[in-house]
Amino acid sequence: MTPLLEVANLNIFFPQASGESTVPVDDVSFTVAAGELVALVGESGCGKTLTGLALPRLLPRGAEMGARTVIRFRGTDLTSLSESELRTYRGRRIAMVFQDPMTSLNPVMRVGAQIAEAIHAHRKVSKRDARERVLALLTEVGIADPTSRIDAYPHQLSGGMRQRILIAMALAAEPDLLVADEPTTALDVTIQAQILELLDHLRATRKLAVLLITHDLGIVAGRADRVLVMYAGRIVESAKTARLFSHPAHPYTRGLFASIPRLDADTTRLTPIGGSVPRPADWPTGCRFHPRCGAAIAHCTTHRPPLEAAGPDQLAACWVTQGMTK
Amino acid sequence: MKSQRGWGILLLGLLVLLAVIGPWVAPDWHAMSDALTDALLPPSRAHWFGTDQLRRDVFARLAYGARVSLVVATIAVTVAAILGTMIGLAAGTAVGWIGATVQRCINVGLALPRVIVLLVVLAAVGLLSPVALGIILGGTGWPAVARLVRGEALRLREAPFVVAAHALGATPGRVVWREILPGTMPAVLVATTLGLADAILLEAGLSFIGVGVKAPIPSWGGMILEAREQLTNAPWLLIAPCLALGLATSAATLLGEALRTSLQPDTR
Repeated sequence: MTPLLEVANLNIFFPQASGESTVPVDDVSFTVAAGELVALVGESGCGKTLTGLALPRLLPRGAEMGARTVIRFRGTDLTSLSESELRTYRGRRIAMVFQDPMTSLNPVMRVGAQIAEAIHAHRKVSKRDARERVLALLTEVGIADPTSRIDAYPHQLSGGMRQRILIAMALAAEPDLLVADEPTTALDVTIQAQILELLDHLRATRKLAVLLITHDLGIVAGRADRVLVMYAGRIVESAKTARLFSHPAHPYTRGLFASIPRLDADTTRLTPIGGSVPRPADWPTGCRFHPRCGAAIAHCTTHRPPLEAAGPDQLAACWVTQGMTK
Repeated sequence: MKSQRGWGILLLGLLVLLAVIGPWVAPDWHAMSDALTDALLPPSRAHWFGTDQLRRDVFARLAYGARVSLVVATIAVTVAAILGTMIGLAAGTAVGWIGATVQRCINVGLALPRVIVLLVVLAAVGLLSPVALGIILGGTGWPAVARLVRGEALRLREAPFVVAAHALGATPGRVVWREILPGTMPAVLVATTLGLADAILLEAGLSFIGVGVKAPIPSWGGMILEAREQLTNAPWLLIAPCLALGLATSAATLLGEALRTSLQPDTR
């Protein structure tokens, strides 16, 4: 069976006037099957947001995609489509929910009208029918008293409610894939849980595939089918969620787990990963994690490790786990 | 800030009141008294602001002049706001050479001295009705609005909610019309209110140098022009229109500043 979304050799770079260019996303490949929830995990600045924006081809001004990049949605390569063809994919097949519900809604438009806009973008419907649809969507995303909220302005709603409105907008044209970029980062912990439950619920009822972009491994556990771990513009590990949590293969993934407090272990001190994520302009050669890696060997500094099998349903890009020794 | 808005609304309200009902309660503005002794009378119960050398009631002319002033200025700022918004939006949202070309046009418009352009145009077309004068004033006032709208559009097109609209498949035209245009309106409203003061002064200035509103239609600038010759024996002729002019521009400025502080959150 072909996957719903197939990304191969995704390269995103910012050409500079000097001729050189920074490459914040370097040769990223992954797939998302219909109805699957895939988590893309990484620290700030690792390229995960750009990866999400690249799917419906919404890269910021100045960013370009490499010539070998393939983004295949249901067999159609999106990199070969024109702007007007892409618009039939944006929202209709691939919808996005952004991080900040405070700024992602138009402050001067009633929320009902904003959701209706998302419907009108893809379907010819009468105003009355659109309003009916909006009310149904508001109910579906768990807004209490939708008939009074439909005419509210964004500033009259709480952060959690606004995020629900954004999700309703994303669902308006019945997409197959929802790209959720840090959908809960700006919210309180209790509201976070509600929004994640809503995503789980929608996924089950709508058979919606979700690419959940996050820096928080905690919200991935027990929710995602698969996890992609990204570091410095590359995917360093990809595994089924249970496998990743029980047997993390890449030293970076292991470092991430070691730096999270656990309830079931007597940890007195957390072990952070030394150093910080380098900027794209300063990315090291070879394995990009080697300057911060305790297991690094000489080979790591010069040769880029490929993503190879590291266990059942598990790939890791690390020379050491692939059996290389000094 | 509240008092600023209060004063602005109060003064502008008084002015509108003067313009609307003034000509009804005062004697006819062009009615000349038959008695030759009625020329250049000082303020009295019968003639609140006195009479001029042609035996006309100054209050009536002032009230009718308020009407002219407000009509000209309102039309001017409305025309400037509409033209400026459309042109600024085009400059701020069109990509590639179209946007760049429109931006050049705005810069040329800003570089031209407005009064000189107006003098040339008005010299060519001759004296005009208040409505036509308003349209011509607006036709030279749009570049300032366009520059403002372009800046707002450049800011808004990178706003997360605009990116979100693109992500949902909205066409570029719809994004501009529904997401960007409404966001530029607060700035346009402020500029328009502040521009009202400019337009009132400009109309008075043009009428003062004799190229504005066609005489004998009373306008404050024209009244100041005529009063100049009677400065020593009938100063009320000069004081009345000058006071009106000062109050009108203060009212528009106060209201504009109050709007600015309440509509632009970063200055609140």
